This record gives sequence, C-alpha cells and structure tokens, in this order.
Amino acid sequence: MNRNDGTSLEAVRLWTLRLFVMTRKELLQLGRDAPLLLFLLYSFSLSVYVSGAGIAMQLNNASLVVHDGDHSESSRELIHRFHEPYFRFDGEVRDPKEGMARLDQGTAMVLLDIPPRFHEAIGSREPVSVQLQVDTTNAPQGLSAAAYAARIVGRFSSDLTLSRLGAASDGTMLMPVVDSAHRVWFNQDQDETWFQSISHIMRMITLFAFLLPAAALVREKEHGTVEQLLVSPITPLQIMLSKVLAMTLVILAATALAMVTVLKPVFGVPIKGSVALFFLMTALYSFTTAGLGLFAATVARNQAQVGMMALLVISPMLLLSGIATPFEAMPSWVQTLMALSPLRYFVDVTYGILLKGVGLELLWDSMLAMALLGGTMFGLGMWRFRRQFR
Amino acid sequence: MNVRRITAVATKEWKETVRDRLFLLMSFLLPVVWMVVFGYGLVLDVEHVPFAVLDRDQSSLSRDYVYRFIESRYFDYQGSVSDERDIDRLLGDTAIRMAIVVPERFEEQLLEGRPVTIQTLLDGTFPLHADTLKGYVIAVNRAFTQERITEFLTRTRGLVPEEARRLAEPVSLETRYLYNQEVRSTWSMVPALIMFALMVASPLLTALGVVREKETGSIYNIYSATVSKAEFLIGKLVPYFTISTINVVVLWVIAVWLFGVPFKGSFTAFFLASLLFILCSTGIGLVISLLVRTQMAALIITIIIAMVPTILFSGLLVPVSSLSPGAQVQAHLFPAMYYTDVVRGSFLKGLDLKAMWTDLLALAVFAVALRLVAYSLFTKRPKA
Repeated sequence: MNRNDGTSLEAVRLWTLRLFVMTRKELLQLGRDAPLLLFLLYSFSLSVYVSGAGIAMQLNNASLVVHDGDHSESSRELIHRFHEPYFRFDGEVRDPKEGMARLDQGTAMVLLDIPPRFHEAIGSREPVSVQLQVDTTNAPQGLSAAAYAARIVGRFSSDLTLSRLGAASDGTMLMPVVDSAHRVWFNQDQDETWFQSISHIMRMITLFAFLLPAAALVREKEHGTVEQLLVSPITPLQIMLSKVLAMTLVILAATALAMVTVLKPVFGVPIKGSVALFFLMTALYSFTTAGLGLFAATVARNQAQVGMMALLVISPMLLLSGIATPFEAMPSWVQTLMALSPLRYFVDVTYGILLKGVGLELLWDSMLAMALLGGTMFGLGMWRFRRQFR
Repeated sequence: MNVRRITAVATKEWKETVRDRLFLLMSFLLPVVWMVVFGYGLVLDVEHVPFAVLDRDQSSLSRDYVYRFIESRYFDYQGSVSDERDIDRLLGDTAIRMAIVVPERFEEQLLEGRPVTIQTLLDGTFPLHADTLKGYVIAVNRAFTQERITEFLTRTRGLVPEEARRLAEPVSLETRYLYNQEVRSTWSMVPALIMFALMVASPLLTALGVVREKETGSIYNIYSATVSKAEFLIGKLVPYFTISTINVVVLWVIAVWLFGVPFKGSFTAFFLASLLFILCSTGIGLVISLLVRTQMAALIITIIIAMVPTILFSGLLVPVSSLSPGAQVQAHLFPAMYYTDVVRGSFLKGLDLKAMWTDLLALAVFAVALRLVAYSLFTKRPKA
C-alpha cells in the first residue's frame, strides 16, 4: 500500500514537473519573439487608451446647418436651442439646396429648415412645422440626431403652450405634464470611456487567447517538432494543457497591466466587485477560448489555415456577442448561435464584476456556461489531436 | 523588371495557394459568410429592450401609461415587480435594462392638472443604449402628455378637442431621413461590410507569404535567384490580388441582389477604389510579413491590426466625425476610412468619381506608400 502511494505520488510529481517544464518552454519561446511581445504590450496599454478615449458612440457634435427662412426672434430662439454637446452649429445656408449639397458631401449631418412666417404663425396661433433632414447613412447616429431634435422642438413647443396658457389663466401654470427623472445605474455620467476601454480589453483577450495557443500548436505540427514531443514521455494532454497554461498566464499578466496602467488611473473605472473573482473568470474565459483555438489548430495543417479559421470564428464573436452592439436587438437566430460564443457570457461577467459589483450569486450561470463550453472544446480538441498521432 | 520572372514567382505562389484546398476555400468563403451573417445578424438598432415596471398607483391611467411601453417594439416587457429591491437584482443580473417606477397618486395628480414625475432606472453599462432609451422614454412621455393636456383643456376650459390639440402642440417637427429612408441599419451596414471583408481577409492572405519562406528557409532560393526584389514582391501579390478582386465582384452582387441595397453611384469609381483598396490591404499584410520573424507573430499582428481598427475607426459602427481628435488622426492614418466613404457614397448617396476623388487619391497614396515601405524593408542580403 505504502509503496503504491509512494509511486503514485511520484507519478503525480513527475506529471506536474513535465507540465511545468513544457509551460516554461512555451513562455520562453514566446518571450523570444520580440515583435510579438511588443505588440502584446501595445495591445493592452496604448491601444486600450486610444479606443477608450477616442470612441464616442453617443451623438456628439452632430454637424448642423440651418436654413432660416424667417430670421425672426422665434426662429433664432429655436436655432439657439440646438447646441452642444449634441449639435454643433456649422453655419447657415441661404437656400435648402445648398444645405442638401452639404449633406451629400458629408460635411453636415443635419439640416434644419425653418419656414418663412414662422414667427407670424406662432403669434397668430396657427400650427406650424419645421423641417429636419437627417443623413441616415449611419442609421443609429441618424436616429439619435432625429430623436434629440424632436426633443428640442418638443420642448420649444410645450414651452409655448405653457406660456400661452399661463398668460391666459390666472398665472398658475399647472398642467398635466408627465416627465421622467432618469437614474442611470452603474455608470451615472454615462462615461463612455469605461464601456469602450473594458470592451477593448475583452476584444484583445479574445484575440490573443484564441490565436496564441492555436498558432503555437500548429507551428509544432508544421515544423514536425510535435513528433518529437509525442515520442517523448510527454502525453498529448500535457502538450495541449501547457500551451493553454502558458498563454493564460500571459493574458492574465497583460490584463493586469491594462487595469493598472489605463483603466484605473486614466479612466477611473470603479472596480466595484472582487478583483480576484474577475481574474479567476478571465482565466476561465481564456481557457475556454483557447479550447476553441486548439480545436481549430487540430483541424488546420498550417498557420495560414489556422489564421483563416480564426477569422471565421472570432469576427462573429467580436461583433455579435454584445460588446459592439446591443444583444437584445439581434435576430433570434443570432442569439441562439451566440449561445456558443463564450464571449457572450464573459461580457455579462466582466461588466457585472467591474461596474455592477455583483458576485458569483448572480454570475454562476455564466460561469457554468463558459466552463461547459471550454471543457467540451478542449475535450474535442484532445480527441482529434490524439487520433491524429496514434 | 522582367515579366517572365514575375510570372514565374506568381505561378509558384498561385500553385501553392491552390494546392492548399482549405486555405483556398476559406479565402473565397470567408467574405461571403461574413456578408451574410453580419448583413442579417448585425443589428445596431436599439430594440426589444427588456424592462420591468413597478406601478405604485395601479390606476387605469397608470396602466394606460405603462401599456404604451409594453406595446412598443422598442421594449420587451418582462413583468412587473412589487419592490424596488427586485429592480436592483434584475438590473444586476442583466435580466432587464430599464425599470419604470410609476409613483403613487399618478392618476389623481394628472386629473387635477398637476405635473407628475416618473422614475426610470437605466442600465448604464452600455452608455449609447442608456442614451437611446432616454430618448424613447421622453418620446412616450411627450405623446402621453399631449393627450393629457388636450383632455384636460377640453374638460376644464370647454375647448373643442381640435382646438385643444392645436394649443397642446403649436410647433411640430417633420423629419425626413435621407439616403436610407426606412432607416434600416442593413442598408448602412451591408456596403460597409464589403470594406470589412476586404480589410480583414486580404491582409491575412499575404501576411504569411514572405515570413513563411523565411521560417521554412525556402527564402534562400530567392536570395540566390536572379529574381529582383521588386519582381519578387509583385509576383507574391498577384494571386492574392486576384482572389480579392473576384471577392469584390461577388460581394457587390450579394449586396445588390440578396440584400437589395440600391447602388446609385458609378460602378467605375467603385471598382477603381476597390482595386486601390485591395492594394492597400494586401500591402499591409506584406509589410507585416517583412517586419516579423515568425509566422505566429505575423498571424497575430495581422489579424489584430486588420480587425481592431476596422471595427473601431473605419466608420463601420461609429462615424469618424464623432471620434475624438486623437482617434480621428488614427482613423485617417488607416485606409479603411476612405474606402468606407467611397462604398457608402457609391451605394447610398449616388456619388460619382468627381465627388470622391480625394478619397481615391488617399487610397492611391496609401497603396504606393505601402509598396515603398515593403520594398525598402525587403533585402536579399540578410544579416547572419
């Protein structure tokens, strides 16, 4: 019994040692690829900053040109209400056609057209309408501009109603008006740098977690070094696991770098939940994505093929998992398909931990889904890898 | 320059590509798959937003108010709750993105002609959504308010409903959506996807071209051959340039026939710009291939350089004009932005060559500059 225990203990020690040696080899190999390492550093620091600071998807200084056919007190008052940060007044045009030409060239996004006799119509209590032409080649931004314009004109209109009724009655201006007090949770000021920088980190984690182990495995196949490994006492499991381990370590370090150098000091992202949990989840996500990558690597015969497969798998993940666009609005077949994308769960986990401050009690289902996906992919990859060399 | 030697390099490269069946298949299939999946699947409109209601009034008027959200296609009703703590939990779990709290005495106040404030709680993790949602809520409020004022005026002042309505809305706004009348994000998305497909797939085709030969050592055949630097680089590009050109035509056909996006501009201008753009995107792959030592580095750097700025800075999702000055500089340093202008201009706005010549010029400059960089980076006399 004792001897048996001793040998099995020894076996475990040997197994771990081999895994450790292999992991070290992967890290060394990666460490010697200077261009790649530099690029990794860039991706998790400067690049996070640029995309965090640079991208504002909310309507921001939409360029507005005005055709004022009235030039009256009322028309100036209305134009005056179109102001920053939503609209940027980009000059007046003498004729609506000139405004349309500017929309065609793309030098203006919105044309506001105020009819002649605007002031007169308001004075004589006739209903009057103003025209708005919006460039909707970019649909969401165009809609957003139209919504803000409707808000501004609506407010102008209701102010007019109130002043008329106020003047007409005994001075009390009570009206059955329904108004909303908006409370924005988790990001009160709607600071977009938080969203964009966190999204960018997820994007980078996904790309590296897929590509690093996949390329590392195919490289061994391409060069034939994998045959050498297979005749050594190292098992296929150790070969695959060591790549995942090494790359996960690298990704965790890079994520920590991004958080320490950009997220906290530059953008002031409040990390509300547990940092340990976040890193644990990032490790799980890297493992899952690496499983996908390794599976692709067992299908591919060379690195060019693995690159193509990465594009096939990663681009839908990046664009449809909810970090670029609202997930709820996607057609249901996309939502079903994206149940297979680990990023879809990681998005909830990351925002949940970093911004909402929730813990495992709410995130356990996402964690389970990632673990299941990762286990399955890794198992399938293992199975194919073994079959190829036995 | 010797055409025979260029042909020889091109033939060799072409055979290598064609014999790698999976690679060849993917290089034609990938753009088509993207176009179809993203064309149908990538929806930018904020719709079906899950929300919950806490109705503290439980009156017929409050139900009428809430019903306007329930029946709207922008919202997706997830049920009502009886406690504010439930809202916390649902928002935290991302089960809902918005909650509406109707205060007590909602109906009573409105009937007396007093203003009422509704509370909306929004999930701010995706700030653009929160912003759009605010807009929707305000629009619902406005419509509801107008009805209430009209009703109130008819009831208390004895106005006829028509007159009351006019008093309730003295100035209205008529909005016309240009270029994309139904404001379908498909129409703005699909042309830009041509750009995406060319920008993301083409560099990868070329990226491994030179570095593969370096890694396997076959580059020494080139070093010792009579083929010149320029001949080698041109010959390397020919097959990938051909593949991408075929893809442009296929993607154009898909956009017009499958998605029914109108093509209003000049095909010549579009095609010319596409050729220039392919020269740019394959050029990026080539330059990376010359800069790095391993295929793994070439692969990863190319994919990231091709994909990340294309998603963020090309105008695909966010118009370049709403980027910060720093990001705009980065956008201008990248050929994708100019081509997006051309594609959207040709499809939706019906612009011709004259209106877009600056974009074409920019693409031409990029194409030439990338060739020059590649030429200066490539050497037939490597150190050691």
